[in-house]
Amino acid sequence: MKFTTDIVIGLEIHAELDTQTKLFCSCATKGNQQPNTRCCPICLGHPGTRPVLNKKALDYATKLCLALGSKLTKEIVFSRKNYFYPDMSKNYQITQFEEPIGTGGTITLKTGRKIQLTRIHIEEDPAALAYTHGMKNSDSVLVDYNRAGNPLVEIVTEPQLTSPAEARDFLNRLISVLGYLNIFDITRGIIKADANISLKESNYSRVEIKNISGFKEIEKALTYEITRQKTQLRRGLKITRETRGWNPTSKTTLSLRTKETEADYGYILEPDLSLITLTDELIHLMKKEIPELAQQKSERYQREHKLSKEDADVMSMELELAQLFEKVATKIDPKLAARWLRRELLRVLNYNKKTTKEIQFNEKEIIELLSLVQTNTISETTAQKLMEQLMEKPFSPKEHIKKHNLEQVTNEKEIETLCKETIKEHPQAVKDYHAGEQKSLHYLLGQIMKKTRGKAEPTKTTKILKKELKKKEL
Amino acid sequence: MTPTTKTPSKKEIQNVLKECETHNKKHHCFTTLCKEEAQKQKKAKGTLSGIYISVKDNICVKDVETTAGSHILKGYLPKFDATTIQKLKEEGATIIGKTSCDAFGFGSFNTNVGKGFSIPKNPHDTKRTTGGSSGGSAAITQLATFPHVSLAESTGGSIACPASFCGIIGLTPTYGRVSRYGLIPYANSLDKIGIMSKKVSEIEPILKVISGFDEKDGTSLKEPLNLNAPKKLRIGIIKESYAKGIDPEIQKALKSILTKLKQKHTITEISLPLTTTYGVACYYILATSEASTNLACLSGLRYGQELPKKNKGFNSYFTEVRTKSFNQESKRRIMIGTFTRMAGYRDAYYIKATKVRTKIIQEYKKAFKTYDVLISPTMPFIAPTFSNIDKMTPLQNYLSDILTVGSNLAGLPHASIPIGKKEGMPIGLLAITDHLKEGTLLQTLKEIEALQ
Repeated sequence: MKFTTDIVIGLEIHAELDTQTKLFCSCATKGNQQPNTRCCPICLGHPGTRPVLNKKALDYATKLCLALGSKLTKEIVFSRKNYFYPDMSKNYQITQFEEPIGTGGTITLKTGRKIQLTRIHIEEDPAALAYTHGMKNSDSVLVDYNRAGNPLVEIVTEPQLTSPAEARDFLNRLISVLGYLNIFDITRGIIKADANISLKESNYSRVEIKNISGFKEIEKALTYEITRQKTQLRRGLKITRETRGWNPTSKTTLSLRTKETEADYGYILEPDLSLITLTDELIHLMKKEIPELAQQKSERYQREHKLSKEDADVMSMELELAQLFEKVATKIDPKLAARWLRRELLRVLNYNKKTTKEIQFNEKEIIELLSLVQTNTISETTAQKLMEQLMEKPFSPKEHIKKHNLEQVTNEKEIETLCKETIKEHPQAVKDYHAGEQKSLHYLLGQIMKKTRGKAEPTKTTKILKKELKKKEL
Repeated sequence: MTPTTKTPSKKEIQNVLKECETHNKKHHCFTTLCKEEAQKQKKAKGTLSGIYISVKDNICVKDVETTAGSHILKGYLPKFDATTIQKLKEEGATIIGKTSCDAFGFGSFNTNVGKGFSIPKNPHDTKRTTGGSSGGSAAITQLATFPHVSLAESTGGSIACPASFCGIIGLTPTYGRVSRYGLIPYANSLDKIGIMSKKVSEIEPILKVISGFDEKDGTSLKEPLNLNAPKKLRIGIIKESYAKGIDPEIQKALKSILTKLKQKHTITEISLPLTTTYGVACYYILATSEASTNLACLSGLRYGQELPKKNKGFNSYFTEVRTKSFNQESKRRIMIGTFTRMAGYRDAYYIKATKVRTKIIQEYKKAFKTYDVLISPTMPFIAPTFSNIDKMTPLQNYLSDILTVGSNLAGLPHASIPIGKKEGMPIGLLAITDHLKEGTLLQTLKEIEALQ
């Protein structure tokens, strides 16, 4: 392959499919957190047991391939990936090698660039290892098989990403698709990646970073690795083809092995799982279950609601937010709705460290709130406060403002009285304002807002205050 | 064996086990006798009440030591019954013990037993092999005087070979006919659980019970057991049966049976050149490739003998466990199987063998367009003596499977039935039918049995 960009990044992403039961047995994929409580002879690999494919996992992976434009294989086959490691009771992992479920496909980035996918395949998760004193200092390792056998999809990209930020955008977009298809549980958020990265300066010598957990970590690991490689090159050192591990604690990568000692997995076909044909009926059924995805929604929002690309992108990225937006936009000016949901709702969610899945109120409250804003009944300041309060406990904004007398003061006579009073009470500020101190105007406005608990309509108040101040100057 | 439909009394079970112990002293048929388990088993009333069943040691019986004849699995107590065992128990059968086999089924003479296990002796001559790998099952089937059948298993001929050497009937059904859940795998795409008995009539009731789809084994077949058979059989005698290397006396016995069969059925010669030429090589590549991955779990971590001290890295730990506990033949097959799927060799061996296997299946399928049943000797020679086996090279050893690997590779139902003797030792005939044609196979066996 011929590369031209300064940085070349390829990703292998593992996402856990949100099925009730494991890939090859009927153990629960979630629930009891006590180690080794969710396992059975099959996921523990007892000699004599056999894997039986979870059809739900196949459905989910099929949907993902269809959504990403991956070409589906006709027959599903699995392979044994053989290597000795304490996290695998069988000492082989059941995965897809020869023939993945999906080949090709694309994800379109924010910038409009299309990133090609190499393949999508299904595999089982190994067990979790726990080191009591860290990997280096422990003299033993504990194995928890609760996770063993959970269904994963691995999505492999072509080396077409050109920066850590692009890699992160790619992941965001992938998670968006997984979320829309309802096949991935973001709250458990188990997404892992191996990344390969190479720089033009080193003549694209490829370094692979293994086992990065969480998509924020992926960006960090890539950024670190670029800096490390650039520093090496500046010092006149060579970048060697190798596999490195990401240490999330020290935020560094460290060498695991060089390419010469690369593992040979001796793949064979998994003989216990007979060939499964992906029928046209199943594909048709799965196709029907694919909803309008983020990208299509964004395009539609721009077209139908005249939203800016940025607003439309944010509104459509997550299914829950998009659904909320669409409901609100039936009653409220879509542009106003988008602006408020994007700025205020997301700000409040961020502050509370919550996701859109965890919002307790529904569109009814938001519509009420925004119609109050749209009709100028309440001030933006009041609306912002109400949004914050809604996050704690749902209530009717309409009743709330009546009860607490929060309606915006728009009566010009009333505002004039307020301005006159305030001017009287703060002579020094008035003097400063007349001396050219613009800050004093804001101070006086602040005082009016304080008096009215933010209810005074800001545009009118500013206008009237200025008028009254001018009178005083004479 | 006539089904008694009477649940056996404590005393009856005791007598059966006592007899087994006596046989075991001389012939080493069992690795474990279910002295307590046989009594404790809940005796359901069913079509197999009063029938005693011995089980090859690679089939899991809950809470009964199951080692697959290996040292490394010594002490392994399965937490579940194999589906076949569960079904047999539900029909009232009594499980009496686990029978001796080559460790993991790796052998044709049952001499590759694990460290600490005894090699079973042929009931006709204790200086000779029972055949393998289901040798213990074949021996006890020949010796038992009580109503008995044995549950055995074949990967490349492990039922037919010992059945032939011990002079009993050994039937291997279509691949997938019987659930493999609970069978410790040798080579999953080849392993088949089957039945050994003294009389043909004893097979059918057992086959009916253990056949059928099992949701725990995705390769088990949904098609129901079909016991229909044509009255007049179109018999194909495999031409290669008369090749050099096949004992002339065995060829003679075969010819004499064929003469009798000819009176009622049509017999013509058929050649299976591909199977005969490439069968053994193809079989040993595929079987060892799969076997070497199956045995990977025996690393002394979750499964396999643990070392007293675990104060070393995982790699050196499991290496020591495996070096100490696997016998020579297991190591040989792990090494062959690891080699054949290694990057750089995989395409030339493993992948090629999967393709050859498809060709072999096609060769048989073509033959079954004109034949109901194919016939050959089961083994090229009668049960060899242990001293002769010692002189054989591993390759000669593997080549003794030449007549049995084909039907095993193709997953075809086949059975060995005694048709005569040489020097007092039984001679076996191998009958092969098309997939799912167990009925035709049983019919063939009945016809041959009636001739003697």
